[in-house]
Amino acid sequence: MFRFQSLEDCPLEEEGEGLHGLVDEDDDIDQFNDDTFGAGAVDDDWQEEHERLAELEEKISVDHSSPPRQPLPPHNLSSSSSKADDLADRDRYLDSLLTFGGGANENLAESISKLVMNAGCDFEELRDPAVMRATLPQPRTPLNSSIWENPMGFGNAKPLMSQAEDSPLMSIIKEVGLPKRSALGQEEGRDLSERVPPPRSSSPIIGSPPVRAIPIGTPPKQPLGHNLGQHQQILCPTPIHVRAPLPQQFPSAFNDRMSPNQLLNVTNSPLCAHPFSSNVPPVLSQLHRAQMIGAAQSGHMSPSHFARVSRLAGNPLTAVNPKLLQGRMGQMMSPVGGGGGFRPFFSPAPPHPTQCPPGHLHNLHSQQSMFRPDTTHLHPQHRRLLHQRQQQQSRSQQRRGQNGTCDRTHRHGTSQDRSKRDPYSNLMTSREKEWVCRIQMMQLQSTDPYLDDYYYQNYFEKLEKRPSPLDSNGDMPKKEHTKLITPQVAKLEHTYRPVQFAGSLGKLTVSSVNNPRKMIDAVVTTRSDDEEKREKQVWNKRRQILYTIEKTYSLLLDIQDFEKKYVQTPDDEKEALLEQRKSKIMDMFENLRGKSTDTRNSRFPDDHLVQVMCIRKGKRLIGRLITYLSIEQAGVVLTAIARNLPYILKKDGVDEVLPWLIEPCSLVIHHLPSGQLTDLLQDLSGLSGATELNNSNTNQQLTRVLQSKFGLTLLYFILSEGERLQSSDDTSELMEDNRWTELVFGVTRELLKIPAASLARPAFTPASLLSLFSRYVDRQRLNLLEDKLQLSSRPR
Amino acid sequence: MNYMPGTASLIEDIDKKHLVLLRDGRTLIGFLRSIDQFANLVLHQTVERIHVGKKYGDIPRGIFIVRGENVVLLGEIDLEKEIDTPLQQVSIEEILEEQRVEQQAKQEAEKLKLQALKERGLSILRADTLDEY
Repeated sequence: MFRFQSLEDCPLEEEGEGLHGLVDEDDDIDQFNDDTFGAGAVDDDWQEEHERLAELEEKISVDHSSPPRQPLPPHNLSSSSSKADDLADRDRYLDSLLTFGGGANENLAESISKLVMNAGCDFEELRDPAVMRATLPQPRTPLNSSIWENPMGFGNAKPLMSQAEDSPLMSIIKEVGLPKRSALGQEEGRDLSERVPPPRSSSPIIGSPPVRAIPIGTPPKQPLGHNLGQHQQILCPTPIHVRAPLPQQFPSAFNDRMSPNQLLNVTNSPLCAHPFSSNVPPVLSQLHRAQMIGAAQSGHMSPSHFARVSRLAGNPLTAVNPKLLQGRMGQMMSPVGGGGGFRPFFSPAPPHPTQCPPGHLHNLHSQQSMFRPDTTHLHPQHRRLLHQRQQQQSRSQQRRGQNGTCDRTHRHGTSQDRSKRDPYSNLMTSREKEWVCRIQMMQLQSTDPYLDDYYYQNYFEKLEKRPSPLDSNGDMPKKEHTKLITPQVAKLEHTYRPVQFAGSLGKLTVSSVNNPRKMIDAVVTTRSDDEEKREKQVWNKRRQILYTIEKTYSLLLDIQDFEKKYVQTPDDEKEALLEQRKSKIMDMFENLRGKSTDTRNSRFPDDHLVQVMCIRKGKRLIGRLITYLSIEQAGVVLTAIARNLPYILKKDGVDEVLPWLIEPCSLVIHHLPSGQLTDLLQDLSGLSGATELNNSNTNQQLTRVLQSKFGLTLLYFILSEGERLQSSDDTSELMEDNRWTELVFGVTRELLKIPAASLARPAFTPASLLSLFSRYVDRQRLNLLEDKLQLSSRPR
Repeated sequence: MNYMPGTASLIEDIDKKHLVLLRDGRTLIGFLRSIDQFANLVLHQTVERIHVGKKYGDIPRGIFIVRGENVVLLGEIDLEKEIDTPLQQVSIEEILEEQRVEQQAKQEAEKLKLQALKERGLSILRADTLDEY
């Protein structure tokens, strides 16, 4: 996601005037990418480069043996333009080498460092392993820790390290670059433009190692901000942030191998590839050290910086005369102050033949690297300008902050304006943003939103219902609820068919997220019913019941979902939906009936239902599904329950779930036709007709029913429903039915017979009971009943 | 540009100043530069802010890449109101010292509590041992 996309694409997606600025930067950015990812650098023939470098090495060692100040023969440093291109390539190569510094290019790095040491140091001293270690660029622990943990805590340890690391490469670059400059002075301008990095690469912060000693994790950086912006990019000819971390990798090498004293000495030691010993006045070394420390403190260390300044320092005059050097620096920087821009590495200021005799340059290549680049080197005028700009920008940033809400309008300003304010904005291109959005939206896609995103759906349903009072308000602008619109993408077919070519062996497998490679070719076979039956017989009965309950539950959930679906589906599909629902309800009912294959008309088989009712989950299931069944079906189920109530009650002793069923059952009773109601009462009371009415024996079933909360409440409901039917006009049917009257008589008698203590407390006592009983019993008994059933306690 | 109507998307927060609270309790403040679908964040010009009482200190952190799973809280900072904070900014050294003192006090209090519980025959799992899972 953070890939570097070719930046040519970006401007197309940028809005407004931002376009110009980006187009201008295109070339630079490509250059940058090449440098970083190696199109120009890595693609080169590695070996060729190596050989060339090896050649150089030889050359230099030859050089070294000759008198130091003698200029190199011009033919050694090619003056042909093709050679110059090569050199530019090599330069790039070196860049990349720096970029990927670690072990990968160790060979080359080693040879380079060796080469530099040959050039700059006494050969004998090279034998010192510590020195070797110090000069070899090998990744080490981060600088930070070593600085903080360094027993000496020298501020100048760090510049020293980077120097040790930088110098080999730098000197090579010098070796290679300087002649080119002298030979191809007229091409400077072009070169310069090519080397100006894109603004993204010029991060002053990233490239700056920490200096202030703060005793925690990552030490702080100087809060330079991004304000240095444009100046900085001119100052650093190559992408800093890629290389800058390198200097941090070395100090431990020193710590491991060198005593503090040694370390101190290294600053002046010729061993660090700087023949800084005899021919340089001590004044200069002092100056250098000061500069190095300054550089470290300023927090701007980068090889490119380094390259720039050291090239300037390559002037022999400056090398010997520090004062002149200062003056010279000022001279060279002053154009910057005038707004002309700093001349980067390899594109020097217009040649001053008297001051920069090309012949002398190469001799001093190793000294050049002693100069630390940093703001302390800047011309005071330039620094003042930088400072001003910084302040301006921080001010403008503040302003922008205050206008935070209008940020969007600001974005449409000129590209220059924008980059001034926040050069790092839009680091994520709109294409990348869209990509992220698309991925996030893809995750939101769903074929069944209620299943995948239940709470979201419900939340929006609620929101949609709510705004009506707000609308009536009138004045208030209706707040628009942004609604998620997920892209409706057709569900991809997931069957994967490998491509196969006629006459070929094997299959071409192309897999993707949507088409995962088939790892197992499992064949799904549908088992025959016989097998299933046999397996089921193996199961014990309880497991089978449990299975039935689970199956019925999932049916129930489906049916409940139909309500949601019904609201959403268009009208013409609603019919089919209803049909589906009906068939599912039928399935549920069938599940309760069990697998019995009796004819439909036969009596409802109790056995299965009773089994279900013996399990807590089953009882709850019945309570939930009974309201979905048709009245007839519900009546049948309820009657079956009533018939087997004593048994079910016995099983319910522990669970006590049955009272939970009261409410749904009362709903069903309320809708039962009189015939079924009578059946229900009969089944519940266990009184079967007139024969038993005369029997004075206590009815076991009814007694049990009356002793249970659920049973008694159910009975009350039945009686009161019967009373309601009776008292309403059109229900002569019930009155005509002798059975009802007889049953009520029987129940009343039983109620009178049962001791009050054993009577359960009903969950609910219908008010109409008293009037019901008044029809069947005399005054005295009515009072008795009233007392017993505590009917009078209810306000009438 | 409204990228994702009806949803919360970090896309619109890009290039704005944000405060991010991490799972380990650190508070980062920086400019959100890049995100992805896992809420991995790239913060630029990040400072780690340490609050102790009414004081706070900022430790410059540069670029910070946060793995999304570590984000507890993330919110834009109102640059206008940022200055009106009743808190007092102090130097890094000072805030670190304050933090150390605070943590020490906390630890001691914890130790006392643990001891008191031990004397009563109770023991609780320490929070930091739980953190590891």
